[in-house]
Amino acid sequence: METFNKPRQRRSRIYSSEARVAYICLIPAFLGLIFLTYLPLLGVLGISMTNWTGLTKPEFIGLHNYIKIFTTDPYIKESIIATIYFAILSVVGSMIYSLFIAILLNRKIPARGFFRAVFYVPFVLPAAAIYVGWSWLYEANFGFFNYLLSEIGLNKVLFIADSRYVVPSLSLISVWLAGNLIVIFLAGLQNVPVVYHEAAEMDGANGWKRFRHITLPSISPIIFYNLLMSLIANLQVVTPALSLTNGGPGNSSRFMTYLMYDQAFVNYKLGYACATTFIIFAILAGFTAVLFKTSNRWIFSEGGDDK
Amino acid sequence: MKAGKKLGVGLIAAALVFGVIGCGNNNETKNTAPSGEASKSPEKTPSKTEKVKITYSMWGTAEEGKVVQETADKFNASQDKIEVEVQAIPYENYMTKLNTMATASQLPDAGMMREDGVVQWSSEGMLTDVSAMYEGSDSKPLDSLAYTYQGKPVAYAATNEILLMYYNKDMFDKAGVPYPPSALDKAWTWDEFVAAAKKLTNDKNGKHPGEDGFDSQSIVQYGASVENLTWQLEAWTLTNGGGFYNDDGTDVRIGEDASVEAIQKVADLYLKDHVAPLSVGQTDDGIQRTIIAGTVAMATNGQWNVGTSLNKAKEEGLKYGVAVLPYMKDKVTLNTGGANVVFSQSKHPQEAMEWLKWYTQEENNWGLISSGIWMPVLDKWYKDETLTHKWVDNPNFPPYDEYKSAVVDYAQSSAARPASWFFTNHTTEFNTLLASVLGDVWTGKTTAKDAISKNLEALKAANKGDK
Amino acid sequence: MSEVAFGRLKSKKRSNRTTNIITLVVVVFFACLVLFPIWWIFRTSLMTNAEIYKFPPSLIPENWLFSNYEKTLKVFKFWKYLCNTMVIIVPSCLAGTFTATLCGYAFARLRFRGKQLIWALCIGSMLLPTMVTLIPLYIGWTRGLGIHDSYLPLILPYFCGGGAFNIFLIRQFIMSIPRELDQAATIDGAGYLRILFSIIIPAIKPAMIVVALFIFIGLWNDLLQQMIYINTSDKYTIALGLTNFRGQLKSDWSLTMAATCLSFAPGVIFYLVGQKYFVEGITMTGIKS
Repeated sequence: METFNKPRQRRSRIYSSEARVAYICLIPAFLGLIFLTYLPLLGVLGISMTNWTGLTKPEFIGLHNYIKIFTTDPYIKESIIATIYFAILSVVGSMIYSLFIAILLNRKIPARGFFRAVFYVPFVLPAAAIYVGWSWLYEANFGFFNYLLSEIGLNKVLFIADSRYVVPSLSLISVWLAGNLIVIFLAGLQNVPVVYHEAAEMDGANGWKRFRHITLPSISPIIFYNLLMSLIANLQVVTPALSLTNGGPGNSSRFMTYLMYDQAFVNYKLGYACATTFIIFAILAGFTAVLFKTSNRWIFSEGGDDK
Repeated sequence: MKAGKKLGVGLIAAALVFGVIGCGNNNETKNTAPSGEASKSPEKTPSKTEKVKITYSMWGTAEEGKVVQETADKFNASQDKIEVEVQAIPYENYMTKLNTMATASQLPDAGMMREDGVVQWSSEGMLTDVSAMYEGSDSKPLDSLAYTYQGKPVAYAATNEILLMYYNKDMFDKAGVPYPPSALDKAWTWDEFVAAAKKLTNDKNGKHPGEDGFDSQSIVQYGASVENLTWQLEAWTLTNGGGFYNDDGTDVRIGEDASVEAIQKVADLYLKDHVAPLSVGQTDDGIQRTIIAGTVAMATNGQWNVGTSLNKAKEEGLKYGVAVLPYMKDKVTLNTGGANVVFSQSKHPQEAMEWLKWYTQEENNWGLISSGIWMPVLDKWYKDETLTHKWVDNPNFPPYDEYKSAVVDYAQSSAARPASWFFTNHTTEFNTLLASVLGDVWTGKTTAKDAISKNLEALKAANKGDK
Repeated sequence: MSEVAFGRLKSKKRSNRTTNIITLVVVVFFACLVLFPIWWIFRTSLMTNAEIYKFPPSLIPENWLFSNYEKTLKVFKFWKYLCNTMVIIVPSCLAGTFTATLCGYAFARLRFRGKQLIWALCIGSMLLPTMVTLIPLYIGWTRGLGIHDSYLPLILPYFCGGGAFNIFLIRQFIMSIPRELDQAATIDGAGYLRILFSIIIPAIKPAMIVVALFIFIGLWNDLLQQMIYINTSDKYTIALGLTNFRGQLKSDWSLTMAATCLSFAPGVIFYLVGQKYFVEGITMTGIKS
C-alpha cells in the first residue's frame, strides 16, 4: 500500500494523531464492550461454575456443569445437530434467495419501490404473529398446505409435527424473513460502480460474466457481512422453538439457545444454562473463525484493509 | 484480511482477561445471589398512620391488571394497614420475569405462580409458609387445592380446574350415537369411547374406520381428540392403574407397563384407530382446534375452556355438551389450579397473607368464575346447593344439571385427583423431558415402550432434580 | 452512427425489454409467495375466532369483520404505545447510528495500537445471544444502579456503538469505498474527523439508514427485554401491547392479528421513507466516476 512508501518520521506522527482520533471514536464501543458484554460475560462464566438455581445461594462446583453437559445431558447432542442443520439450511437458503431478489429488484422494473417494500415486510412483523400465522398453514390435519395437498390427491405431510420435516419447515420461515439481507444487498449494489458495467458491456461481456466478474467482487464485503450475520443469527435461533414448537417433536427443534433459555428461565438451572452458553459460544466462534479464515480468498476490498 | 488469526488472538486475549479478573468472580456471584438475610428478617410493625405497601403480581393483560387493581382498591379502602399495588405481567413471559426478578431480589411481596413452579420454589426456600392462613376460618379451600412440600401446605391454588370431555351435540345427533354420560357412575370405558369415536369419524366418502374403502388420508371429521399436553397425560396413566410418580412424588412410575400402555392407547387413537387428528402436544388451543373448529366430535380438556372460548362459540351457534372422561381401569380426572403465593423475599409476609386471604374470596374473582374460566376454591361453593346455583345457573354455562354432574360433582368425587405438581418437585424438568421423549411416539416412529424405557434413567434423574 | 451499430443498439434495447419483462414476472411470482402468509395474517384479523380454525380453510373472510379493529383499538392503545415506543426508539436510533459510524470508521480506516484485539472483542460480542447476559445485566441495572421500571436499560446500550453488528456493517461499507478519495483529502490537509464527516458519511448514508432501520425494527419487536425492564402498563410499548390479547389459557388470535397489522405499519413507513435514500437514485459524487 502507498502509505508504506511515505517517510518514516511523518508516518509515525500521523500514526499517533490517527490513533488518538481512533480511540476517541471508539469510546462508545469500549463502554459497550466492557459494561454490556464482557463484564456480564464474566458474571456468566462465574455462574457457570456454580449450581445456582437463580433462587437460593449458589455453591461453587467447579467444572461439574461442563462435565455434565458432555456426559449425562439428554438433549445436548440432538440440540447441536438440530442447530447446525437449521443454520446451514437457513443460511444457504436465505443467502441465495436474498441476493437473487436483490439483483432482480435492482433492475429497472415498474413499481420497484412497492416490490422492495413487499419483500421487506416479513422482517418487520412481530414474531408471535408470524409463527402463529405459519402454524395454521403448516397444521398437520387441517392446515392450509395439507388442504392443498389433499385437493390434488397427495398424502398429508406433517410439517412441524414431524421430527423429519420440522427443521426444513422452520428454515423456510427463516428464508422468508430474510428481508434485512435483501435491504443490505440492495444498499450494497448501489456501490457497484456503473462505469465498470458500461465498460464491460462495451467489451461484449454478457450478463452472467458481468455479474461474476464485476458485481460479485464489488459486493463481496457485503456478501461476507450478510453471510456472517445470517450465520450468527441462525446459529442463535430461538424464536421458532419458543413460540411454535417448544423444541419438539422430540428434540428435533431443540435449538441450543432455546435449550439454554429453557434451562435458565424455565427449569431453574442457571449455572447449567451458563455453562451451555459457553458451548454455544465455542460453536459460534468455530464457525466464525472458519468464515474469517476463508474470507480473504474471496473478498475483494476496494478500500483495502491495512491493519 | 487476516481476521481469522486476529480472532484467534482476540479469543486468547479474552481468555487471559477472564483469567486475570477471574478472582473478582466471587464478588460478582455473591452480589447476584439474593441477599437472604436482609430481606427475610421481618420489619418492625409499621406505625398506624403509615400504610404498608405491598405488591401483588399476576399474569394477565394490562386490562386484566386494571380490573384486579380495582378489586385491590376496595381492599385498600376497607382497612388502614395495607396498600396493595397490582403488577400485571404478560402470561407467556410470567415465569421468565419472575425468575429474573428473583435473581436480583426484586420479587413482589405476593403473586400468582404457575403450577409447576410452586413446589420447586418452596424447596428453595422462596415461599413463606402459609399453613396459618385459614386458621379459624369457616370455609377452607378444597383439600386437593393445597400445594404441599414435605407434607406442609406452602400455597393454595387461586382457582380450581378439572379435566373433562366436551362433545358436539349436532355431530352425535347426526351419527345417531348417544351422548357421552355426564354422570360419573355411567362413565364410558375406553373401548366404548373408541367405538363411539369410530362411528363419529368420517372420510370424504362418509366411511368410518374399519369399513372397507375407508381412507385415513381424507378424513373430514374425527371422532375424538385426547389432549396430549404432557401434564394432562398423567390422567390417562392414572386411569390405567399406573401414574407418573408414586404417592408422594419421590419416585417415578412412568416406566410401569400400565403407564406405558395408557400412553400408547392415546397415541393409537391417531395411529391405529384413525379416530383422532394428530397432535404432538405443542399448543394449548386444543378445544379451538377441535370442538370449535367443528372438525372433531369429542375432545378432552380443562373446564376453563367453557369460559375462554366455548361460551363465545355457543353464542355463534355451537351446541356442545360436557361429560366425564372415559376410563381404562379406575375413574380419574385431574384437578389443578395456579397458586397464590407469598414470597419469602417479602418484608411484609403477614400483610401479604392477609391480602391473599381476602382476595381469594370468590366474590373478588367473580368475573373469572361466572364466565367459567375459574372454579371456586372454597368448599362451600361445591357443598351448599344455593351457592352452586348462584355459580352455575348462568347463561355462560351448559345446562345446570349437566354441568353440575360433569363438573361440580366430578370435581369433588373420588375420581378427582390432584395433578402431581401439587406435591412433586421438579415437575417442569420431568415434563419437558417426557414431552421430548414422546415426540416421535405420536407420529408412530417409535412406541411408547421403546421411547420411555430408553430414557427411564434420565426421567428418574429429572425427578430427582440434579442441579 | 453506422447502420450496424445502430441495429445492435436497437436489439440491445429490445433484449433489455424482454429481460425486464421476465424479471417482472419472476418478481411478481416471488412477491405473491412472500405476501401469502401476510395475507393469511391479515385475513385472520377479519375473522371470528371460530372461523380461523374452520376446515376447509377459507382464503377470504366470510364477513370481513372490520369491527375487530375497533375492538382491538379499545385494548391496544396504539397511539400511547407508539408514543412510548418512540421515546425509546428515537434516541436509540440517533445515538446508535452515530456511534456505530464512529466506531466503524475507526475500524475501517484508522491505524492504532490494539486494533486487532478490540476488533476481535467486538466480533466476539456478536457471538453471544442477548439472552445470555440478560440476568447479569438485569441485576446490574436494578441492584447495581437502582434503576426500576425505566426505559434507560433499553436506550443506553445504543449509546455504546449500537451493537457490534451495526459497527461491522458500517465498517464493511466504508471498506468498499475507494481509499483514493480520503487519501486525496489527506493530502489536502484534512483531519481524520473532517474526512469522516465530509467524505465518508455522505458516501455511506445508505448504510447508516440501514443501521437506523435495523435498530428501529430491533427495538420495535424486542419483547423479552421490554418485558423484563418495564413494570407498569402505562409504560407499555407496542411489543408489550401485543401481548394484551394473549392471556392465561386464552388467546384472541383475530384481535392479536389485527393489532399486528396495525403495529407493523410504522416499520414499513420508516422503510419507505428510508428507501429513497438508500436505494433510489444515489448519485454520490466522486465514488461512481
